[in-house]
Amino acid sequence: MAGEEKKQGADAWDATQWHVVEKGETLSKISRKYYGDPNLYMKIFEANKDVLKNPDLIKIGQKLRIP
Amino acid sequence: MKSKKFWVPVLLVVFALGAAACGSAKKEAATTAIKAAEDSWNAVKAEVVKYIPDQAKGVDDGIKAAKENFDKGNFDAALETAKVIPDRVKALVAAAAAKKAEMAKAWEEMSGGLPKMLDAIKSRLDILSQSRKLPAGLDKEKLEGAKGGYETAAKMWEEAKAAFAGGNATDALAKGKTVKEKAVEVMTALGMQVPAAAAPAPKG
Repeated sequence: MAGEEKKQGADAWDATQWHVVEKGETLSKISRKYYGDPNLYMKIFEANKDVLKNPDLIKIGQKLRIP
Repeated sequence: MKSKKFWVPVLLVVFALGAAACGSAKKEAATTAIKAAEDSWNAVKAEVVKYIPDQAKGVDDGIKAAKENFDKGNFDAALETAKVIPDRVKALVAAAAAKKAEMAKAWEEMSGGLPKMLDAIKSRLDILSQSRKLPAGLDKEKLEGAKGGYETAAKMWEEAKAAFAGGNATDALAKGKTVKEKAVEVMTALGMQVPAAAAPAPKG
């Protein structure tokens, strides 16, 4: 998908899927984009607990894993 | 004084004995060379055939040719053919070892990377299976196809691991390559980013 950017790093086999938060996005919107269902936003939150403390608080430019 | 008539048969006998001795020496040398060729080859043949089967045939052909020459009494030709084989075998052993190392490295890379792709696909499929709607670019048919593709790839990956554990690196790598292609296909169908190491080389 367009928002799913290439992982640049030492491990060329890294299959982690990433999304960089853009202006106006919420976890629900991101969930709808990748899963078609905004209600699955907690899947993204759970996968990013190391950087997110609250599912309602995400920042522009933040790099999130999309499981 | 003895006549010439006496010396002629004596010389012929001496000549015949010399020729026979010379022929016997050549036969013995050819026999030794063929045995050395066979011994050197038999000691490593299984390993060489395993990694470079196409090159291994040349040695079998060489030994066969040496034996055929020997059977025809062409001991010089048999010796010439057989005596170079041990050096050729040494070169093949080195080539097989290099190929083995190359395959081990390829397998190490594959076994470190492919499970990551399969895990990422499974994770996405599990979540998509819980979704009430599907994202843009993905319909139910495409999702079912991706699930089937994943199952095929996961099963084949198990077979590849078993093949490698069983010493069949060639089969393991061939299966691993198929798994990679299938995983790339599924990831692409699901709109996922393919890891750089697995991405198909750009055309042109």
